[in-house]
Amino acid sequence: MLPPTQSSKAAPRNSDRPELASWFGSFYSVLVFIFFYAPIVVIILFAFSDRAIPGLPLGNFTLKWFAEAIGDPSLMESLWLSTWVAFVTAILACSIGLPAAMVLAWRGFRGKTLVFALILSPIIIPQMVTGISLLLLFRQAPQLMGSIGIIIAHTTLTLCFAVMIFYSRLLGFRKSYIEAAMDLGASELRVFFEIILPLTMPAIVAVVLLVFTESFGEFIVAWFVSGFNETLPIAIWTSLRFMLSPKINAIATIILLVTMTLSVAAQLWMLRQMRKTGDMER
Amino acid sequence: MAVADKSQPRGSGRWRIFAGIGPIVLWQTVFFAIPVGMLSVYSFWRMVNYRLDYSFTLYNYVQILENPLLFKALLLSLQIAFAVTITSAILAYPIAYFIAKKAGRFRTLMLIMVIVPFWTSLILRAYAWKLLLGERGFINAGLVEVGLIEQPLSFLLYSPFATALGLIYSFLPFFILPLYTSIDKVQDSWLEAAVDLGASPIRAFFEVTFPLCVPGLIVGAVFTFIFAIGDYIIPQMLGGGKNLLISQAIVFEFETSQNWPGGAALAILLLAIVLSMLLMLLRWVKLEDVV
Repeated sequence: MLPPTQSSKAAPRNSDRPELASWFGSFYSVLVFIFFYAPIVVIILFAFSDRAIPGLPLGNFTLKWFAEAIGDPSLMESLWLSTWVAFVTAILACSIGLPAAMVLAWRGFRGKTLVFALILSPIIIPQMVTGISLLLLFRQAPQLMGSIGIIIAHTTLTLCFAVMIFYSRLLGFRKSYIEAAMDLGASELRVFFEIILPLTMPAIVAVVLLVFTESFGEFIVAWFVSGFNETLPIAIWTSLRFMLSPKINAIATIILLVTMTLSVAAQLWMLRQMRKTGDMER
Repeated sequence: MAVADKSQPRGSGRWRIFAGIGPIVLWQTVFFAIPVGMLSVYSFWRMVNYRLDYSFTLYNYVQILENPLLFKALLLSLQIAFAVTITSAILAYPIAYFIAKKAGRFRTLMLIMVIVPFWTSLILRAYAWKLLLGERGFINAGLVEVGLIEQPLSFLLYSPFATALGLIYSFLPFFILPLYTSIDKVQDSWLEAAVDLGASPIRAFFEVTFPLCVPGLIVGAVFTFIFAIGDYIIPQMLGGGKNLLISQAIVFEFETSQNWPGGAALAILLLAIVLSMLLMLLRWVKLEDVV
């Protein structure tokens, strides 16, 4: 998520050196962004190139790899699996995370630090450690291996993001709205649906998008607990091991474009909502 | 459902707290705390003749020190993670500074552009670097085309260099964002005061701006280190199979040798490294300084 901007900057005071410094700064930033985006651009370029083995020169423009990717039933099956697993994970993360964040933000209770530590530690612990730990657990309950296992694993990994985003949203929330509604006789359920839910909506959208993309693209943990089910990242991993197929570039291009659009949309929307409701909250 | 603070003194308060917090505590206990606990228990067992021997032993931990392959993996992982962290710090600082202080109306756009790539799947980004670095990849082909080299550079892919590059690429945003936050908190007026009192802009930077963003630097460094040492995809895809890292050794033990206790011990060691980094972080900085 975007860190909040603290202060709007006054115009820089002018002398020759700062000019040079900001010229260098712009140049350097462009280099960094080339570094960030060049690999993504390369995948997209190769997806439209008719060369069977990715390489230079690029060759002619073609859409056949997209057609082949869409025509590949096992690839489409993994795409479908990844999609619904990510969707269920997003719903689970929201419905477990939001009530927890409400309590953490608004209530004091003993053991709060411990609960925070329990919720946030999956961020710090290497995902692969979480993955093999779950593998050991599922060994005691093999029927959970597979898509259910992946959903469990991804929910465990993403709950911390969900709680953090909800928590920071709820902290900046004016409780007098709730009190006013209660004083006017609204039931708790009504307060939740008519006040809390609309005001947390930007956070909910952000959480859904973030958790969905994280689950959709996650590989290592899913790989450990998937059994014989292949999510899309697992399918890509497996196919990269054996044969480099331009189909992968095509499917990767679709995923990259969709994720990047979602990411930009989510951030812009959050920003707009924050501006819109900003003066209402404090 | 926990709602308003107002009703706290009433008897239903505790029930509400429990209802809100219960599911997540239960979930994280069953699917996180207990499994990690099981992992540590496994690490003190041992595989004997392809069967688990349930008597307590430190054998797996001794093995990490005595088996040169495992020890080398541990050492190389630490080296690469340190190198990645330091390089990322150097790369991240100027751009974080630029976004916070000089970017003007492009600031939001630039922040978004920093964040977008790391929403995308790590596996795809690793794959992209494979396309770039391979012997017939973009970079080699380009260099040959221009005439800078005659033979493709073979060290670009399947080497510790490739691993380090991939890790820097993947985790640089984690360094830029906390740095940006801490630099952004440095008010321009403080710098102006320093300059008015006769400091050169360079001295003002080193005595005002820089010390104030040390917390951001430490947070960025710790997170980059933690993510770099725990990653599996990048070293496996770009580093090749010759120089194993600790994460690859863990997968090797679990998937190939079926030596789960051995893999568990490696994983617990990795966990211990990560947690000690985190404890150092918590001793050095107050989290409020950077969030």
